[in-house]
Amino acid sequence: MLLINNLSFYRNNTIIFEDLNLSLNNGQITQIRGKNGSGKTTFLEVILNILEPKNGDIFWEGKNIKKNIFNFFNVTTFIMDQNTSTKKLTVLDNINFWKGLCASKLTNADILLLLETFNLLKYKNTKVMYLSKGEIKKLELLRLILEQKKLWILDEPYNHLDNSSIEILNQTFKDHANKNGIILFASHFNPSINNLEIIDFH
Amino acid sequence: MVFLKKIFLFIKRESQIFFSNFVDLCSNILFFFLSIFVFVFALGADEQLLRTVGLGIIWSLLLLSSTLSLRKFYEEDFNNGVITIIHMGGMSYELIVFFKIISHFLFVQIPFLASIPIASVFFNLPIIEVYNLILTFIIGSLILSCLGSISSSMNLLNKTNFSIGSIIVLLFSIPVIIFSVGINNSDSNFNNLINLLIGIALIFLGIAPWSSAAFIRLALRNK
Repeated sequence: MLLINNLSFYRNNTIIFEDLNLSLNNGQITQIRGKNGSGKTTFLEVILNILEPKNGDIFWEGKNIKKNIFNFFNVTTFIMDQNTSTKKLTVLDNINFWKGLCASKLTNADILLLLETFNLLKYKNTKVMYLSKGEIKKLELLRLILEQKKLWILDEPYNHLDNSSIEILNQTFKDHANKNGIILFASHFNPSINNLEIIDFH
Repeated sequence: MVFLKKIFLFIKRESQIFFSNFVDLCSNILFFFLSIFVFVFALGADEQLLRTVGLGIIWSLLLLSSTLSLRKFYEEDFNNGVITIIHMGGMSYELIVFFKIISHFLFVQIPFLASIPIASVFFNLPIIEVYNLILTFIIGSLILSCLGSISSSMNLLNKTNFSIGSIIVLLFSIPVIIFSVGINNSDSNFNNLINLLIGIALIFLGIAPWSSAAFIRLALRNK
């Protein structure tokens, strides 16, 4: 369970958000909505300790994440709005790098099956720079399943995706929530997910 | 064991990126050779003169050509967020910087070693000076990698002023030049100067990870 207590963040003395309280329970999917520039990405980066909050604390399973940051990273997958795949390497090279980085237990057969699901199997030996934007985004989303972490934090996951991929992503979210996972994502898109909790950023 | 595997993977990825950028490296070495040609033609065919100034020219050109690839040190990994992902994979920024320096030293600086003996032929350098040059370049290029790491991490958010990074490297590499070129002029001081060079390398290897990591954190916060 992720607990956010009285979190405030200022940028150049202007308030981005103030006294924010939030608790994310196991099996809960939460969406952050808001206008452009309302601080959605900033909020996610504050949770991940990339940005320093002015005051307030974040707790994961009762422990302050600031003191146990690598324990927190151990259970978290962060999908950014940028694509973290290396453009000059092939799809499989990228996947092997991510897999080693999080010590994933997936076998090669599992990975080929995953690529098949996302329609990327034919590109497995292609360099990422030759893929389209949607395909690169799908490759990025593979990290969710590859890393097998409990807490998923996503920034604009629906960008560049086609309808069938959106369906797959929604189904993946539901499956993860059924397995007691926690999902927090920021997006303008209104996905068709039941029991979706919405936080509105003004 | 898992941690060692992560480090191995990191260096493996760097080598893969390096081999996909092979043409870039070749063009750096080509730049080095062409500027040596320019010097040789500009100075004329005076054998004694070439031999006197050769070492200094080779060192300065090595320095200039290795600053050419500086901007690529962190920029790509920073802009597409790979640094954050590796950090979340359990490596502190200091470790990332340290292994980045090591892989830059292995994959960018060491290939220059092959070009040094060929360049020495143009200046008619005696063989003992070529040995000294290779020895000092191995130590000096490690210092250059550290300086490159510091200057490029300082300039992560700087999108306009391209020369400032090279200025920082050139400024701090003056001691390296002094000691490396000085080795040939004084045989009795050989050990002292080598020790000084190794000392500078170790100091920079100690400072660079902390300062670069601090700059990367700062850049991530102000992105």
